[in-house]
Amino acid sequence: MTKEKEDSGLSRRRFLELILSTSAGLAFFPKTGFLTTKGRRQTARKVLVLGFDGLDPILTAELMKDNRLPNFKKLAASGSFLPLGSSIPPQSPVAWANFITGTDPGGHAIFDFVHRDPRNYMPVFSASESLPGKHEIKLGDLILPLSGGKINNLRRGRAFWQILEDYDIPATIFKIPSNYPPVESKQKTFSGMGTPDLKGYYGLFNFYTNEYKTITEEYGGGGRVHDVFVIGNRVESRIPGPNNPFKKGNPETFVDFKVFIDPVHPVAKIAYQNQEFILKEKEWSGWKKIKFDFIPGQGVSGICLFYLKEVRPKFKLYVSPINIDPADPALPLSTPDSYSKELARKFGPFFTKGLPADTAALENEVLDENEFLTQDELVYQESVAILEDELRNFRSGLLFYYFSNTDQRQHMFYRFLDKDHPAYEEKLASEFAPVIPQTYEEMDKVLEMCLGKIDSQTAVIVMSDHGFNPYRWGFNLNTWLLENGYHYLLPGSRPEEVTLFQQTDWARTKAYGVGLNALYLNLKGRESQGIVQPAERESLTRQLANQLEQLVDPRTGEKIILKAYISREVYHGPYVDLAPDIILGFNRNYRISWNSPLGNFPRELIEDNRQKWSGDHMSSPAVIPGSLISNLPVKLSDPALQDVTAGLLSLFGIKIPPEVTGRPIF
Amino acid sequence: MWWLNQAVGLVVKVFLLPFTDLNPWAGMIFISLLTAILMLFIYKKTSNQSGIKEAKNLIKGYLLEIRLFQNDFGIFLGGLKRLLSANLRYLAYNLKPLLVMILPIFLLLAQMNLWFGYNVPQPGETLLLKVEFNQAVEVDRLNLEVEAPAGVIVDSPPLRIIDENEVNWRLKIVELRGGQLVIKNGGQKYAKDISLPQSKLARVSAIRVNQNIWEQLLNPGEKPLPRDAEIKKIEVVYPSARLNLFGLKIHWLLAYFVLSIIFGFGLKGWFKVEI
Repeated sequence: MTKEKEDSGLSRRRFLELILSTSAGLAFFPKTGFLTTKGRRQTARKVLVLGFDGLDPILTAELMKDNRLPNFKKLAASGSFLPLGSSIPPQSPVAWANFITGTDPGGHAIFDFVHRDPRNYMPVFSASESLPGKHEIKLGDLILPLSGGKINNLRRGRAFWQILEDYDIPATIFKIPSNYPPVESKQKTFSGMGTPDLKGYYGLFNFYTNEYKTITEEYGGGGRVHDVFVIGNRVESRIPGPNNPFKKGNPETFVDFKVFIDPVHPVAKIAYQNQEFILKEKEWSGWKKIKFDFIPGQGVSGICLFYLKEVRPKFKLYVSPINIDPADPALPLSTPDSYSKELARKFGPFFTKGLPADTAALENEVLDENEFLTQDELVYQESVAILEDELRNFRSGLLFYYFSNTDQRQHMFYRFLDKDHPAYEEKLASEFAPVIPQTYEEMDKVLEMCLGKIDSQTAVIVMSDHGFNPYRWGFNLNTWLLENGYHYLLPGSRPEEVTLFQQTDWARTKAYGVGLNALYLNLKGRESQGIVQPAERESLTRQLANQLEQLVDPRTGEKIILKAYISREVYHGPYVDLAPDIILGFNRNYRISWNSPLGNFPRELIEDNRQKWSGDHMSSPAVIPGSLISNLPVKLSDPALQDVTAGLLSLFGIKIPPEVTGRPIF
Repeated sequence: MWWLNQAVGLVVKVFLLPFTDLNPWAGMIFISLLTAILMLFIYKKTSNQSGIKEAKNLIKGYLLEIRLFQNDFGIFLGGLKRLLSANLRYLAYNLKPLLVMILPIFLLLAQMNLWFGYNVPQPGETLLLKVEFNQAVEVDRLNLEVEAPAGVIVDSPPLRIIDENEVNWRLKIVELRGGQLVIKNGGQKYAKDISLPQSKLARVSAIRVNQNIWEQLLNPGEKPLPRDAEIKKIEVVYPSARLNLFGLKIHWLLAYFVLSIIFGFGLKGWFKVEI
């Protein structure tokens, strides 16, 4: 049985089902066919780009000073080390999209993790959309699709590896964020952040226990608790899989499993399908395959990890989100299709979910800090093994390789570096404060391996999309809009009970916040129930921006929002009209609250962040630039992400296309 | 039963020995070819060749009749009836060779499963050891111990599944050496082969069974357990193997039947066999 918090009206769970059900059922995504990689030019220069998500330049400099990052130091000494201007807002999908396209969000149309549908004001994922097949035959409860579903990458603009392809320059792009599904290319690419799990979520774990436990389901992910009973040293339950596109109503699929527990020893056997394996208490299973059947002969396979957290006195079994099986991908993972299978053949199963570490499991105390780190270390080891292989085959062109560990661990462990953080725990800090510096050291080891495997002619670029800062306090944007007469609820509504704008009086509302940094006007002609006249737009935007920039936290005396960016002033390109009207650039230590981004109205304007997710990067990009380290001298004093793209193209002697707005860094 | 399994096993081993270091397809093609020749030989010796030829000619004739007289419903129906009868006659002629061949083929298939059915795990990987006891035994009261050969570690405490009268252990492969596992219960000892060969094609016995004839037929890899053993079955769960055909994973049984049939039909003229 699953425990979920039900909200009044449309529950969050139901909302998630609505927006995600289509992607879960896409067993029949159109195959892009086997793409060949013919006619690849032998380039005089090779370029290696290491993307360490969230590598903070201040912390990097400090650790370099302490000689804890000798290889970073060596690289910087031979070329440059500079802060790298991030995107507005400095969220990973936006920032990496800046790098991918060499332009700002006005040119690639990714403005936030979450956008909104102006027809109904509902949040939608910004990175991709899933569309079911158009034609089908219904036979009773059975649905036979006659055409395949479709998953669209919503990022616009051309990726730099597509430009390189025009010039026959080979590139391998491994797990770059904002590339799901991978855009069509003859280059070897593997999708990164944005790649869902097999259910179509950004990661939904399952936790089986006979202890009372509740879990907060996050936007597009989180976890589910399954109440189980230990009867005769046996537990029986089921693992939920994707929705069945062949059945009326698309019901969820399941795989039944049994756990046999020894009467005395802390050990158990897990059995499902044709798999049986023993786990001792506190032991991880390694990757296990799992198949979900839709109808005879049709199904999808995934991979997951089991962790036997406790046998007695309480039974606790964690099952990771079901990752798409790279050996038999149910959803598109790579170009060519064969690339993911080739990697699976060489390395066996590996994490394919966009953000692999299960931060939700740590947040919900399903995994503790050490267990989370064990899992994330597996992510690191897998990444290093594949990188080593790619370096062996790196003979020409460009290799981009991405590591998520820096970002994920900083999100979850920043509270141990910041004594003023509301979630700081002194007892745990002594053990876990070193985690972030040690993670940087691990990245230094990655660089060491790379430097040992490349020749002297290879240009090396270490970069990150943004830096990090503590997330101590959350700002409730929608509450502020409500309190200041920009947003209205229907009479009789209790603001703190409203979710997803269910009680909003759109006929009076002038502005609303959806997403992590975005504020939209309720604009006539754009929003379905818009009331702000286009003529009023400019003045209202400025008025809101000014007011937001004046906001001061009475507890600290500090500004909450350092800069409220007016999108039409800071974005360029064909998609500016799709952008939010204002992008909030938070001050250090501040971020949007947990509830505001989904159209909620909590009571407090500013709340303490007591969650384990304690570091973040929603600030003004000036507060948290990324890092740029290269063995080549950088000619710009203030490089930004899109400038790196222009720099890459210039290294291969390619004329910068007009849509790339960056300035070459080399 | 054991001596019969041993004899068939020896024959298969002799034939497959030259192929142990080659791709498993080589051994599969060779054994399929031999089987086809053996089947053709048995078929020729045990079947009524002239009767089969006559039945086939009749079938061809009646098919022609049906085709020619498809507009005359009476003749068409009569032709169908005669065609059915000729088919039954043909099947009846095949019954004797089929009965003669069924046992050797069954024995051969059980042996081939030992060679083509399992993958050998690599060092670092784990295997499940399952010991199933007789109904009368209370597994939670047993004082069990497993002794592993060099290169194998017993990696978990015993996991006793009372409902199923079964005890499991996890084995970790450290080195590809193989040998015998010994399951000790008080003063009694039961051995089980653990096969960890390094060759590309090797004989792997996954299960040691009790004296049950049917179980012995299905699992011919090891001498059955003593009659008075309190253990019903000892199994090492190896990962199942598939033959790789240009990336397509094929069960060995499918490959074997397809190849045997192709070879059988290809060679029937050479051996002058009417099938």
